[in-house]
Amino acid sequence: MVIAVPPHTTSNAARPKKFEEEELLLTGSEAIAHALRLADVDIVGAYPIRPYDAVMQAVAAMIADGKMDCEYIVAEGEHSQFELVKHASAVGARSFVGSSGVGWFYAFEAIAVTAGLRLPVVANVGNRALDDPGAFGVEHNDALAVRDLGWLMTWVETGQEAFDAAVIAYKVAEDPRVMLPCAVSTDGAFLTHSQHLVKIPPREVVEQFLPKYDLGDRLFHPDNPITIAPQVDQDWLTEIRKQNDAAMRRAPDVIREAYREYYELTGRQREPFVEEYMTDDADYVLVGQGTIAMPGRVIVRRLREQGHKVGFARLKWFRPFPADEVVERLGRFKGVGIIDRDYSFGSPHHGGVLFTEFRAAFYDSPKRPAMINIIGGLGGREFTAADGQEMFNLLQQATAGELKTNVHWIGVRE
Amino acid sequence: MTLTTTPPAELVDLSSIKTVKQVPYTEYFVSGHRTCQGCESALVMRYIAKAAGPRTIVLGSTGCMYVANTSYYTTPWVVPWMHTQLGAAGSAALGAAAGLKVLMRKGKLANELINVIAFCGDGGGADMGLGAISAALTHAEYRFLIILYDNESYANTDIQLSGSTPYGAVTTFSPSGKKRRIMHTRWKKNTPGALVAGHPDAAYIATACASYGVDFMNKVRKGLAAGGPAFIHVLDPCPKGWHYDPQLSHELGKLAIETGIWSLWEMEDHTVKLNGTTRAIATGRAKRKPVREYLSQQGRFAHFTEEDYALFQRRVDEQWTKWLIPGVVSFGIEAGTPLNTPAPAAADV
Amino acid sequence: MGAPTASGTASPHQNGTATTSASWSVEVVYRGIFQKRLANRISRGVVLGARKEGKVGTAFARYGDSPERNGIPAKNFAVVATDEVQLESSLARYEPESVDVSIVVDDTMCKGVESWAWYGVQPINKLVVPGGSLVVTSDKQPDELLRAVKVKPYAYNLVVVPSPVHAGVFAPEGSASFAGLWVDNDDNTDFKCLVAVARVAPQILTLDSVLDIVRERTNDEARVEAARAIYDQIKIRHVEPGEGSTVDHEEYQKPGWTQMREGIVVEAMQVGTRNPLYKKWSTRTRRPLVNFDTCIKCTQCWLQCPDECFEVTPEGTYEVVYEACIGCSICEEVCPVPDCITMVNELAFDNNDNLYPMYASDPEGYRRFLQQHGIALHPELIDKAKKTPAVHQQPDYPSKKQKQPVVTGGEE
Repeated sequence: MVIAVPPHTTSNAARPKKFEEEELLLTGSEAIAHALRLADVDIVGAYPIRPYDAVMQAVAAMIADGKMDCEYIVAEGEHSQFELVKHASAVGARSFVGSSGVGWFYAFEAIAVTAGLRLPVVANVGNRALDDPGAFGVEHNDALAVRDLGWLMTWVETGQEAFDAAVIAYKVAEDPRVMLPCAVSTDGAFLTHSQHLVKIPPREVVEQFLPKYDLGDRLFHPDNPITIAPQVDQDWLTEIRKQNDAAMRRAPDVIREAYREYYELTGRQREPFVEEYMTDDADYVLVGQGTIAMPGRVIVRRLREQGHKVGFARLKWFRPFPADEVVERLGRFKGVGIIDRDYSFGSPHHGGVLFTEFRAAFYDSPKRPAMINIIGGLGGREFTAADGQEMFNLLQQATAGELKTNVHWIGVRE
Repeated sequence: MTLTTTPPAELVDLSSIKTVKQVPYTEYFVSGHRTCQGCESALVMRYIAKAAGPRTIVLGSTGCMYVANTSYYTTPWVVPWMHTQLGAAGSAALGAAAGLKVLMRKGKLANELINVIAFCGDGGGADMGLGAISAALTHAEYRFLIILYDNESYANTDIQLSGSTPYGAVTTFSPSGKKRRIMHTRWKKNTPGALVAGHPDAAYIATACASYGVDFMNKVRKGLAAGGPAFIHVLDPCPKGWHYDPQLSHELGKLAIETGIWSLWEMEDHTVKLNGTTRAIATGRAKRKPVREYLSQQGRFAHFTEEDYALFQRRVDEQWTKWLIPGVVSFGIEAGTPLNTPAPAAADV
Repeated sequence: MGAPTASGTASPHQNGTATTSASWSVEVVYRGIFQKRLANRISRGVVLGARKEGKVGTAFARYGDSPERNGIPAKNFAVVATDEVQLESSLARYEPESVDVSIVVDDTMCKGVESWAWYGVQPINKLVVPGGSLVVTSDKQPDELLRAVKVKPYAYNLVVVPSPVHAGVFAPEGSASFAGLWVDNDDNTDFKCLVAVARVAPQILTLDSVLDIVRERTNDEARVEAARAIYDQIKIRHVEPGEGSTVDHEEYQKPGWTQMREGIVVEAMQVGTRNPLYKKWSTRTRRPLVNFDTCIKCTQCWLQCPDECFEVTPEGTYEVVYEACIGCSICEEVCPVPDCITMVNELAFDNNDNLYPMYASDPEGYRRFLQQHGIALHPELIDKAKKTPAVHQQPDYPSKKQKQPVVTGGEE
């Protein structure tokens, strides 16, 4: 499926640059590989699982051709894969790892402790439905499952953004005020395997943007007399968790700084948290994360042609959840439809993960739009024009107070 | 400290310790760890740190040697130490060694010999983490030492059976009851034998015992000096898990060797050698003590009958009379199979 | 600390059950693993005995003490109440704030306990309420024990459950505990302790309830009578405020999250030091005494000690660092010289000072000291021993002078 690069809204206007960029036709996975190459990543841990491992194949090709210099270790399983890069990070190596679906889950223990240890590993999650049954298409539950553990989490939409976000991920993760691992999620198939036009800046630009990875007095090295992660009990955990909480609370400002600097340099990624499309005069807005924004914007244009004032907002960072931005930006609309490409069985009102989080963000706000949940696209099912019409109808009805329930699964064969 | 490119003075001493009097005095694992009276696993930690010296980083997977040593929010380690997960000793060693190598290659870190040691218990290493250790031992390009300390149970969780628990032993997962007197009927697997047989790129693989401290420390040094992935499997008696008075810890370790239940050997330069008392037994210079002498001193075998002793003795006898290499490989070979293929003459190559 | 029991107005020394709503707590302080079953039987016995009188209760081990380690002090608790509401304040907690009765089943723990779940050494009577009781199983007289027990600012009772001296392979004469160490002896210790509770705190459970428990468990009237006989043999010593040991133990201050380093990092130990946060001497019931005259400097004690307790003396012999020694006795086992290392009762000592200075300044006095502990001196071995060469020399650790990482690599 070839997707044209969508036109930028006024909130993301390009700016003139001072250097030449190479334009390549790359999958989202390859784009990330280029980012790793320019970021001088020191070590990559690989293990095959579709669809993320396209990034690992791209890295391998770069190494073989001498375009990238790093250790490349193929592990015997995802748990080992994530453990080895964690420890490489602890000795000071800039690390990259990734997985999809149940593979990501096989590494769950390592994923949890990486955040607990405050190690700024960057991982690409090629979002894929969880077994059983097996399926390769996109759902977001794999990455979302770690949302409580202290990982920074961003969802990207285009190959360009995959490149940009991977570079920014290292900047934010390795910032001494943050020092948390970062998961960059790319929708399976639609982004991992689709080729977009991607502009690649020169290496010096990325080198200028990214400081050296510096663990300071936490470096694991014979010269540094420390013990890392002794066993503790109830007397220590609250304080240790508090430190992680504080780091995550500092992250939004660090993210804003990073995006500002990146925008100055490249003219891209002006918007750190919420990217809006045709929202200026909208009454209703559909919201989602990842590649859903593409059919999302198509749907919006179609509805506009019918005379409806509809817009689309794309959430770029899921952790830290930008509650202030979300409330400020979305509070001005009459009705908001949160699209979840995920499920959360048994949650309040049986809503999806994003829906529950958006509702929580809005709870104390005096300006609370009508909010409905659209659960769809599961297993990589495409969103159709009919889906778009149905979403809007539901949103309109909900805003008018005509609906009894607010959580809707669309496109389901009865 | 930041990544430093200033090289240190040469401080790694991996020379052979010829006699007990040459054991270095300095401790790099000091008093003040919450281990049991008579804990031979703690002695193993002490020997590891002592043999390796200060230019060392240690990765410790979950187990007694994590929880007992570093609780609560404290440490007995002088050398830098980092926790890793239960089944992750292999991957931790690999990742740390690879990270150091690439940083030195890229000039981001001073080029020097750093000892990378990861340890695991029999539960974490021979059970859960065996895959990770196996994968690590295929990486000839990295140097690290993985040490598996075997107290024959998941000890930290209050003693449960593992794949390394001996036949018939009582644990909290295999109590001896009225209906089932013996719940653990699996024979201890031969982890070091499995690893040495299957990993041609491993630089050094050995077995050891905490009661033979000088031998063990020399093996630690050999493993670190071997220049590639290395593995040592060390048996250490556990008074809590094996149910005996702690003061017998040292003696029981020796009896494990003297009865032939555990064997001391090493593989270096792709050649297996038997060591010490094991060698003496194999060459006939020493006689194997009956296994009863060892088993009867441990409460975990208190329920053993004559049949149980006989079974155990028979299996140990097999290790010595039927296996191709006593204590190393767990199988014999068809009679008449030539063992050493002569190297081809130059013309045939 | 020092506050009366959580609720209720019943005095600990009133006979019969209280009519007001109340709860009471009992703790058992024991040697981990060795006395695990014993402690469990005692705390459960309290609850099940009180149940016969219509009370409700709960028994639990202190979670932080788990997994237990051989010899490291641990605690078990029993809370008994007149009703569920009273009981609830003791549930979902790691340990009670205070106890009416503390039962110590190894008298060497009177010197204080540093367990898993605690920072620093705690006085053995830390949780005992005013007017409460510290019950100790011992072959010693109360006054002798009191010398080791920390003073309190209020009165309480020191109660001794007597035992004969236990002689045997693993618990020599004059040993610390008659309750047996690594072997779980079913020797009525649990019943004796329950009888002691009935004696000093009958509002928790009465003698009759205890005897019912004994009968149920053993089906043996002889043992029931033996338990009844103990009731009168128990010695109760009233302790005044200020009576006891004034040895101070360090208080450990826990840092806050803004002072703790990020990334779960703590400072490593320095060469030549020992972990100051866990001294571990309260794990031992016996300590090794070294005869420096006959030591042949074979280094085995130093080499085989799992707790790194030995240090080389200026003469090249080895002495014990008693702050670190946990009394496992491996050194006594591996020492090749007769009576060169001998394990003796820990209660005979009231400090953890190294003993080589005593030998160095007054060798004759030291020899008499060894003899007082029943140790044969073997004068015929001394000449040869003195001629053996020293193997190690105490290094000059910079860390003892200044705070710098030390990078020596082993030496002789």
